[in-house]
Amino acid sequence: MCSRTAATRALVFALATAFALGCASFGSLRLSPDSLRLSEVADAGDPERRSSMQLVLQGLGDDADMQSARALSSYENALRVDPSNPYAYLALARHYVYGPDPERALPYLDKCRTLLHAQGAWSPRVEAHVEGVRGAALVASGRPREGRAHLERARALDSWAWGDEYLAASELR
Amino acid sequence: MGAGFATGFLVGRELVRLDRIVVTRFEGRRFWVPSRVLSAPTILYPGLDARRIELRSVLERLGYRNEAPSPRLATRPVPVGSQIWGNDQARVHLRGFDHPTRPERPRDIVIRLDGSSIREIRDVPSGRILGAVLLEPEPVGSYYGPNREQRDLVRLADVPQHLVDAVASVEDQRFQSHHGVDIQRIVGAAIANVRAGGIREGGSTLTQQLAKNFFLTPDRTLARKLEEAAMALLIEARYAKDEILESYLNEIYLGQRGATAVHGVGEASRFYFGKPVRHLTPGESALLAGIIQSPNRISPFRHPEQALERRNLVLRLMLDQGRIDAVTYRAGLDEPVRLAARTAEARGARYFLDALRRQLPEVYDTDTLTSEGLRIYSTLDSRLQRAAVDALSQGIEELEKRNPRLVREDPARSLQGCIVALRPQTGEVLALVGGRAYGVSQFDRCTQARRPAGSAFKPFVYAAALEPRSGPAITLATTLDDSPLRVDLPTGPWEPANFDHKFHGPVSVREAIERSLNVATARLGQQVGTPRMADMARRLGVESRLPNVASLALGVADVSPLEMARAYATLANGGVRPEIRTFEDLVDGGGNTVARRDIEFRRVLDSGTAFLVTSLLEGVVEHGTAYGVRRAGVEGPVAGKTGTSDDERDAWFVGYTPELVVVVWIGFDDPQSMGMASSRVAVPIWARFVAAATGGRVRGSFDRPPDVVELAIEPSTGAVARAGCPASRNEYFLAGTEPTHTCPAGWVDPNPTFDVEREVDKLRDAFKRWLNDVL
Repeated sequence: MCSRTAATRALVFALATAFALGCASFGSLRLSPDSLRLSEVADAGDPERRSSMQLVLQGLGDDADMQSARALSSYENALRVDPSNPYAYLALARHYVYGPDPERALPYLDKCRTLLHAQGAWSPRVEAHVEGVRGAALVASGRPREGRAHLERARALDSWAWGDEYLAASELR
Repeated sequence: MGAGFATGFLVGRELVRLDRIVVTRFEGRRFWVPSRVLSAPTILYPGLDARRIELRSVLERLGYRNEAPSPRLATRPVPVGSQIWGNDQARVHLRGFDHPTRPERPRDIVIRLDGSSIREIRDVPSGRILGAVLLEPEPVGSYYGPNREQRDLVRLADVPQHLVDAVASVEDQRFQSHHGVDIQRIVGAAIANVRAGGIREGGSTLTQQLAKNFFLTPDRTLARKLEEAAMALLIEARYAKDEILESYLNEIYLGQRGATAVHGVGEASRFYFGKPVRHLTPGESALLAGIIQSPNRISPFRHPEQALERRNLVLRLMLDQGRIDAVTYRAGLDEPVRLAARTAEARGARYFLDALRRQLPEVYDTDTLTSEGLRIYSTLDSRLQRAAVDALSQGIEELEKRNPRLVREDPARSLQGCIVALRPQTGEVLALVGGRAYGVSQFDRCTQARRPAGSAFKPFVYAAALEPRSGPAITLATTLDDSPLRVDLPTGPWEPANFDHKFHGPVSVREAIERSLNVATARLGQQVGTPRMADMARRLGVESRLPNVASLALGVADVSPLEMARAYATLANGGVRPEIRTFEDLVDGGGNTVARRDIEFRRVLDSGTAFLVTSLLEGVVEHGTAYGVRRAGVEGPVAGKTGTSDDERDAWFVGYTPELVVVVWIGFDDPQSMGMASSRVAVPIWARFVAAATGGRVRGSFDRPPDVVELAIEPSTGAVARAGCPASRNEYFLAGTEPTHTCPAGWVDPNPTFDVEREVDKLRDAFKRWLNDVL
């Protein structure tokens, strides 16, 4: 009798958990524009990370205003304050993709991915940008077949940001 | 007639000669302007420890004036380039700085402190809270020509009219009307001198002074005076007044900063008032013009009363000559003299300047660097540089004090050392001290010396053995054999020995590296092979020649501290090798960015292997030969390896935190035994530097990559430790290389646990897939 009650309770608990998780998952699907913007993560972390994020956002603002050298300097200052800030590497990679030497973006993306994984911050939302920027870098540096696959993956993860295969600084900001 | 003709011919010939000299100088390089090297900017942000970065001193070094404390600190007007400090806040009116692509405008801010930590930075005019603020870069040094003249060239258009008026009023009031020589003034000066019974007044015009400074010696002979007058006439005949005036304002000697002569109003304005010339007030212009007569005798730093008197005299002359009105005159008189804090160039950065010069593109040769007035924005962190200078000099002095046998009479043969610090993620050189005294020896031991690495090379052997690329030779659970080893070589047998002259039998990988066991490592080197060891060292960043010998595993290769720093930076950076970077960009005299060095790096090792090696090297600091780091009070994540070469001739410690790689090398230039291991020589100096750099508390962590798993193992066998196993410790493995045997052997989980989290994850993933399919 007792074990039947416990089993029923466990079943109810499992169903409730599944429902709750389902609802949570539903929210994270691409049903509405929900791309990762770095301003969302700007207030997290220790003082160095927060300050570094301010410099990254400043750099993205400069990039949006076509102040390329100033943006680069902001990203480098962001790394001076927090050399382990994965988003600074992502912003740098994005910066290089749309410059004269897009291939330079690749090691930055690699570094960004490693740091995000190591810091437990890897998620489909950031993966979309990492994949998309990688795809754009590969296409722009003459490796279209390889690049397309990454862009497809980015589009699948975040059709809103990557539908046009381009990530503007203001979109990432 | 003949004599007259001959005289005329000779005078004419002389004039032609002088004219040629004038034209050559004016049409060619008019000024030698040393190139300046500036530090990386200091970045202020909430949470930063203002005391640790010595904020107040940084501002003073930048020439910020200290204003009197005031209860209305946050609201009262504060001039640009000033600071006011209260108990728990500071008001700073930052100057901003010029840069062609990333200028910073002046900013008036209040810094609120919580203890020594910055709690908030607020922009005063807007009231906005700021996330980060950049201070202007600090001067690191200059590439001087033989005369050690420093100047900041200005265009006449940038010079305020009141400065031009002030100079003209006191030095040459008829400058605009004479033709190079002012007869009226000469006669006036002669009469005044006769009356005074000696030389009291000079009759030279600005053009004559320029001619004297450009072409002639300071002798007071008639022939020299005639030459000066002739040249002045020639200059005036050939060039416009504005051009002559601009040259004069850039050439004139205006004081002394240590061994360096301050020339021109641009440099003088920064030196005395800490601001660009265009921001001078009429009173400050009058002061500058006033000290031209004798910059050191009337120096406002050393003789403020005399300087003030002289300023007031110039203001009076300006009023009398109708160059200023009475209101400006009175305002000038009432203006207190606000001098910038006296600044000296950064200490001990000459080795860094040399290293930077070697990294510049070849077109920037010595001639260009000493004359073209480039501004080089370097990566140097001035605070860390000072800490490195102190740590090295004090550390070596203490060593000598405790071990008098290390003292040498001849400074050129004394015990030497170097420190280099890099940011591993970007390869930026943050500090570099290539020796004890640049004046004694300019040989840079960080970049130019090649010395045996000793055991500091061992991490490359372990990295090669752990790397999965060609099948890992070991895991961290492997047991190594530290028993006698004999390797037969064409040159004879090689029998490595340990530092303690003992053998330790079966040892764990950790124990082997923590105790720096040579025999176990040599045997591992045999297993891995010399080519793989050398390949690993190369990939990580070692560029020196690596001999193809078995003893490579024990560090017989001669390497430089800088390349060791780079190789360890690759480990600290998770297997990504940074390119060394000493400057960010280079701006020419015209304000154009002419060279840039971007952050560059490349993955050369998988992050998992880099993490395993780092974990081993953390053990060296926690329990091994570098425990002195902990004893010195440095807390937080630190990894590193000591290295002592044969006969204790070289002592190394290469250590890193997640954000800083530091190499310390100590030894004699002419290799001699120090009779001590590196743990007693290099480690204390390293710890002293890192404690100063970080405040003793290292930030960050060495993050474990996702492909590294942590497992409990039985230490002696390396088996996975299960319930009932008598001993266990946790160890890291690359996924897929975990041990398969268990302790106790053949252990079967009698009670397999239900992992709720894993099952919930599975359920959620399945649900998401289903929902995706449906939608």
